[in-house]
Parts: sequence; C-alpha cells; structure tokens
Amino acid sequence: MQAIRLLRRNNVNGLSLLNRRSSAVSIRYSSTAQPALEETVVASTQSTEIAQTSQLDRDVFVADVVSGAPTELRHRSVRIFQPTRNTMQSGAAKTERWRIDFDILQGGGRWENPLMGYASSADYMQGTRTSFRSKEDAIHFAEKQGWDYYVQPPTVKRIPPKNYAENYVYKPNTLRICRTKCPVRDGIV
Amino acid sequence: MLRILPTVTRPSSGLLGKVVASPSSSRRTISSTPARQADITLTVDGKEVTVPQGSALIQACEAAGAVIPRFCYHDRLAIAGNCRMCLVEVERSPKPVASCAMPAMPGSKVFTNTPLVHEAREGVMEFLLANHPLDCPICDQGGECDLQDQSMRYGADRTRFHEITGKRAVENKDLGPLVKTSMNRCIQCTRCVRFANEVAGVEELGTTGRGNDLQIGMYVAKTMDSELSGNVVDLCPVGALTSKPYAFHARPWELKNTESVDVHDALGSNIRVDSRGVQVMRVQPRTNDDVNEEWISDKTRYSYDGLRFQRLTTPLVKRGDRFVPASWEDALSAVATGLAASGATGDEIQAVAGHLADTESLVALRDLVHRLGSDNLTLDQNAGTSSPVHGIDVRSNYLFNSTIPGVERADAILLIGTNPRHEAAVLNSRIRKSWLHTGLEVGLIGARADTTYGYEYLGASARALSDFVQGKGSKFAEKFAAAERPLIIVGSALTEHQDGAAVYNMLAKYVLANKAKLLTPDWTGLSILQRIASRPAAYDVGFVPSKKAASAKPKFVYLLNADEVDPKSIPQDAFVVYQGHHGDLGAQLADVCLPGAAYTEKSTTWVNTEGRSQLGRAAVPPPGASREDWKIIRALSEYVGVPLPYDNVLALRDRMWEVSPTLVRYDITEPTSTDIVLAGLAQLAEKTNGAKVGDQPLKRAVENFYQTDVISRASVTMAQCTRAFVKGEGYGFAGLGKQGDKAEAAFA
Repeated sequence: MQAIRLLRRNNVNGLSLLNRRSSAVSIRYSSTAQPALEETVVASTQSTEIAQTSQLDRDVFVADVVSGAPTELRHRSVRIFQPTRNTMQSGAAKTERWRIDFDILQGGGRWENPLMGYASSADYMQGTRTSFRSKEDAIHFAEKQGWDYYVQPPTVKRIPPKNYAENYVYKPNTLRICRTKCPVRDGIV
Repeated sequence: MLRILPTVTRPSSGLLGKVVASPSSSRRTISSTPARQADITLTVDGKEVTVPQGSALIQACEAAGAVIPRFCYHDRLAIAGNCRMCLVEVERSPKPVASCAMPAMPGSKVFTNTPLVHEAREGVMEFLLANHPLDCPICDQGGECDLQDQSMRYGADRTRFHEITGKRAVENKDLGPLVKTSMNRCIQCTRCVRFANEVAGVEELGTTGRGNDLQIGMYVAKTMDSELSGNVVDLCPVGALTSKPYAFHARPWELKNTESVDVHDALGSNIRVDSRGVQVMRVQPRTNDDVNEEWISDKTRYSYDGLRFQRLTTPLVKRGDRFVPASWEDALSAVATGLAASGATGDEIQAVAGHLADTESLVALRDLVHRLGSDNLTLDQNAGTSSPVHGIDVRSNYLFNSTIPGVERADAILLIGTNPRHEAAVLNSRIRKSWLHTGLEVGLIGARADTTYGYEYLGASARALSDFVQGKGSKFAEKFAAAERPLIIVGSALTEHQDGAAVYNMLAKYVLANKAKLLTPDWTGLSILQRIASRPAAYDVGFVPSKKAASAKPKFVYLLNADEVDPKSIPQDAFVVYQGHHGDLGAQLADVCLPGAAYTEKSTTWVNTEGRSQLGRAAVPPPGASREDWKIIRALSEYVGVPLPYDNVLALRDRMWEVSPTLVRYDITEPTSTDIVLAGLAQLAEKTNGAKVGDQPLKRAVENFYQTDVISRASVTMAQCTRAFVKGEGYGFAGLGKQGDKAEAAFA
C-alpha cells in the first residue's frame, strides 16, 4: 500500500520523470527496491556488460498494477540510449538526455494504405518516446513497466585541441598537402 | 578453440535482454591517451573552465556550456575562420574575436552573451543573408539548416538589402549523381573544401575568386569522385550541397530516426536510418569516434533505395522452371520434403553463409545443420568450401587487432592485397588523416590503387612480400623496420588467393621474429581487414567446414544470403534453398526461396572487422510475408524434425553467449592478449609451413566499390554511381553534364 501511495505522489509517468532532477532518491519507494537499482547501476559501471542481477534482487514494484496498461505492452522491448547529434547540423541539443523508445513490431506493425499511401500502424507504441535525465532513471522506469530493455552505451567523444595556427605549421619532410593551388600533388605516386 | 568457455558464468537465462554494456566503449591503453599538455584555466561567462593548452577559444566556450553559433568551424576539420559567426567578446580586446581562430589563453575573461556580441553576430548574419536566396520553402535543407536556425536566433528581423542588381547568382556545379548543388545558397564556409582536401582526398575541390565572387567547385567540369562524397551534404550548413537521390522526397520532421549499424562493409559504421512509414528515406552517419568518426561511405549512405527493389516478399517454390508464390507452411514443408527427397545425410547437407547474414541467423543455421548431422558450413567466397588459411581458433588471426582508431597511432603501414579505399572507405580516411598530419609511411603489395595517400609500391605478388620480410630491395622495408609502431594490414581477399597460405606463413614468421615491435602488450601490429559484414561473426561462431565435411558432395544446399556463390559449385541434382531478402543470384539457383529481412528491418548483432559486436535496430518492418532470418531457421527446424531450443531472441542470444561470449558483449572490442596472439601466430606458422610462394598477382578484392552486395546491386543510385565514377559515362569531360543541366532545369 505504501508503495502505491508513493507511486501516486511521484506521479510516475514519462512526463514527470522528464522534469525530475534527481530521481535516484525520489523513486525508491521500498527498501527492497533499492538493491535492485543499485545492482544494475554497479553492473553498468563495471566492465561486465551483462547485468548480473538475480531474480530475488529485481523486486521492483511494477507500474501496471495500477497503470491499467494492456498486457501486450509488457512484452515489448525498448532501447535506452542517448540520441546522437544530427550530423546535418552543428547544434548538440537533446543529446544529453536518455531516451526510451520501442522496437517496432515485426509484421503488421506498419503498412501503407493501398489507396492513399498513408502510413498506418497497429502499434500503439510506435510514436511513443520518453526522455529521461539519466540512464538510471530510464532503466528504472523500464523495469517498473516490465519492459525488456537494452542499454546502448553512449559513445565517447574524442576531439583533440584544435588550433588555427596548425594551418601554418612548417612540415620538415615532403609536403603532403598543398593548401594553395599547386598543379601537382606531391607525394602521390 | 582458445576461448575459455566453461569458466565463465552464464548470465541468468531470460534476462539477457537486460544487457547493460560498459560505459567505456573502447579499449584504452596508456599510450593511446594523447600526450597530456598543460591545462589552462579561463573564465567564460563568469564560469571557470579548464581546457588543454592549445585549444581553440570555441572549444573552451563549449566546455563551459556556452553555445557558440558557427558555420565554418567543424570539430573534425581544420579551422578556417572565415564565417565570423562565432564572435565573442574577450576582456581587454578592442574588437569581438572569432572564437574558432583564437587560441584559448589562460586567465582571459570571455563573454558570449553581451550586447556587443549580439550586435556583432547580427551584423555577420546580415552579411551572410545578403546574398542568400529566400529558398527555404523549396530547399531540402529546410528544417535542419544551420543558417535557418541561427538567423532565427541571432539575425535581425528586417532587411536593409535594397541592391538594384539583386542577389549574387552562381552557376550550379555538377558533382555527380550523389551531391546536388545549388550554389546560390552557398555561404562560402569552405567546409566541403576542407573535407574534400583533408579527409576524402579530392584535392580538386577548391575555391576560385575572392570576396563576393568566391566560388566553390572542381575548377573544370568534373565530378567529385570519392567514396566519401556524401559527407559534404552533411557538412554543408546551408542547402548549397544537398543529397541528389533524396531531393524533394521528405522533410526532416517527417522522419523517424533509428540508430543502427551499417552492413555494406565490415567496419560496422554507425548509422541512423531515417524512415517514413514503411520506407527508408535516407541513411545518415552517427558519430562514433571508435568506428566511423562522423563519416560514412557513399554506399552506406545512398544504397538504401536498393531496399525497395528486387525484394523477395513471399515464399517461393519452384514448379518446373517457374517460381510459384506459396504460404510459409507450404514453403517450409517443401524444404523438408526436398531435404528428404534429396537423400542428403551427414555432410551432404551444406549451408552457405553470405555477405549480409546476421549473427543470430548464423548461429541458428549452424545449430540446425549440426543437428542434422552435418558439419558442412561454408562461406560465400572463393575457397569458402574449405577452412580458411588463418584458421578460426584464435581471434587475432582474423581480426583487425590494432583497432580502427589505432590505425592513427601507426607510423608505418604495410598494406597487403587490399585497397582500404574500396574495402573500408572510412578507415581509409583515417589512414589519410594520419598520413597528412604525421610522418606515416605506407607501403603496398598487391594491385596498384589510388589510395588518396602516397605509398611505396613493393610489388604485385607474394614474391614482393618475401623480399620485404628479408629486408630486400625497398626503402620502405628500412622505414618499416625503424618504425616505432609498425602495422601490417592484410586484405581479406588473401584467404581466397592461392598464395594465401604462403603469405600468412611469411607474415606469421615475420611477426614472431619482430615481436619486440609488432607484438607488445600495447600494440598488435598485424591486422586483417575484413570487407564483408558477416564474415568476422561467421569466423567467431565457427562457420567453417571440417576437413572431412569439405570433401563431401552436397545434395542439399542452404544459401543464407549467399549471392556471390558460383553456380557451378552447386551440383545439378542438389536441392537448393535460398534465404535472403533480394532476388539476386542466390534466388535464381534456388528450389525454394524464403524471404528474410534486410538489415534495416531486423534488430540483430553485427560483428565488425575489429571484433566489435554491435546491435543493429529495425527501422521499418520487413515487406510482405518476409520474416526475421533467425525465425525462419527456427521455424524450419520444426519442419525438418530437429527443433532448435530457442523460442525468442533472448534465448538465442543466450545461445550466442555460449558459442562465443564476445558476440553479445556489445560495443566493445576485446583485445587479445599478447600471449594468445603469439600462440595463434605460432599455430598459423606451423599450419602453413612449407607453402610455396607463387608469382600470381594479388588481385583487387573489390572491382566496383558501388556494387558489392545485393542491396547495392539493386540500387538505382549505385548504378548511376557505377556509370559516373567507375565507367566514366555521362559525367565529366565527355558529357559535360548536359543531362544534369536538364534535370536541374526541371527542378527549378
């Protein structure tokens, strides 16, 4: 009962999670849920890639007790990832957040209307995507919903220090690129 | 196999879907950390930030979380400093400074959000927009245009442009069938020029004229002949360079983005599949510094239209000489009947793994074939019916051990029987980058190729390698011997070549003899460059025949995505099943076709040439009655009476974990320890001992870069590229782009 009460107070759905700053504290509603979350987090920071969580530890209060979501939804798999920057643009907005979205349904999930060519779908989750401030938030949410999830690790950016002066650095050996317009490409055999 | 299986604990069954991969996505060793320079501290908008010395001011501002608008600055290109959009105010500086061209100085105070900065940016924007046409409603960049976004934020709300002569008009250039130009829109940021010169190696793309008359172009009517040319479309901050095949097809806000993995070469480039409804509309790169940085090859980017044509959408059963559509039930029972009728037992049941077979289906098919009592697992390549020369016992014998980013640390590279430009175009750009910026020396044995970097040509055949290992006859051998971190890149075509054994023998002995440099805990200097997406996974799961099985004459052949197969290698009376997504060569040979899903339609594992397993993701559903490949094999196993024990993909991944744990350790490369590499090489040297060195030249593995698999062969864009770049028809000096002009006129 206590769990349900707390669940209501936190109004656990995607939108409220989006606005919450530190979830790790606020969504722990019972002492049994705590180890599960921590276990997952620890596993993710170690180099073991597979979360070694036993069934006992995964005593997460599942949301569909109260959410009324259809049972089919429990068998869906989701992916938790940080969307990458759109390479068409230089802005990096929305790449810090963690997103959950659904794997498509194989067969029958989408079709094209034969008359008009409209896209139709029988998959009520195809347009749903939820954003979270942290990976742990997203994992916890997926666990509560009972979804199978795959966490795609974020890529590490490695941009070296850049300097305008590099354009004019003297290269002692054969010149390998002519920054002015020279007719012969040096070095290319 | 040297993989230690029993000691590793299995994950709890059923929970494998809840896989949490490690946050560090790459192998890091001490010396791969760049030489650490002193850090400097400065203040950006009142916030202290510490950056490495030598950083540009724009990098310091970014590190402080300040958003700096920019057009010409790009993280992966040289700094040009010509758009002036990134102006910021620096204390005690009389004028606003361009933060990209200004080094970050310790102790300086930078302001990015002051009236001076606002005014400066508004002024710059006014000049940029003065000659920019009001094309936004008909411009393909609309919705993802840097100029559009930044003019909304930093631009003025009214114009002072009242020139009677109107805006600048620039002739459009014909860069080939991939890149559409609309040069009126160009703001002369020169990102494309820098990309072409530094990364792609097309040094002809450049600028002519000055000031208002500056134009971007190839100087003469010439196409931009590069495997990476599509990337200039991404780089262009405005709509001057847009994608020709995608022109006027979709708007970015209509598209659903799915982050996935590419299968057109063995690099496993990270891609984002943009789809609308049931169609893939375009493919974009996804930044990953460990694999493809920010680039993808043109085949990856533009062959998506091949996914629409020539598809197998329904199971087909051959009646007489015609294929008749059938239900899944009929088709699968036809396979079962065919198997029984062919009388194939034991090793007479042959499975062939093709280029685009995913790891899940490889494991399932291997299990199925084993359960049918056969060990005849072959690969879709020359000499694929026998075990490969390098063996599959030790991973380091067939993987790209130096890792893809590691290529940049090498100071001498010997390419053997490979042209990375065509076999792994993005990797080639890394070699070029290293060649330009460090003293990298490259040597090549095999067919001559335009590699975009200079190399010393050592010879065409294995004989040249035998000279090289003896240190004879070339300056390169001396340089290689003197190098700190030498790297040998061996092409995958070597295993198909008759001198393959001799080459591997010489290499194994050479590496063992020079292990002080070539094999240290920090550096593995022997890398095999695979060119086929499914091949590393096939080796990992052991998809090779035993010696006994290789000699059996098959009576039942199961082609899994196998379309390069030699029709003569299949006996006339054999019963042939083709499973795949395109009606290409393999389907022609088949008695029953089972329609599978293409790489954009299934969430499957792909192992790249480094051994990095990555999970792709389905973007659109497979067309018609086609199904995910592993499910087809699972269903078939029921019909032939040997049901496979996995009912869902998680159970199948458990099984993959049993076969090789690396297959499900996603997004990391597992280094092979030096001892194991040594053991592998010793075994290789022993196995290939006595192989004769022949004079047969090593041929090109890829003749036509644009058409290497069923998807790219079905693609219209790739056919156009073949015409334009490989055959040189219709474009360039001969045609002078007449057709292109007409097409442009039709759009305008």
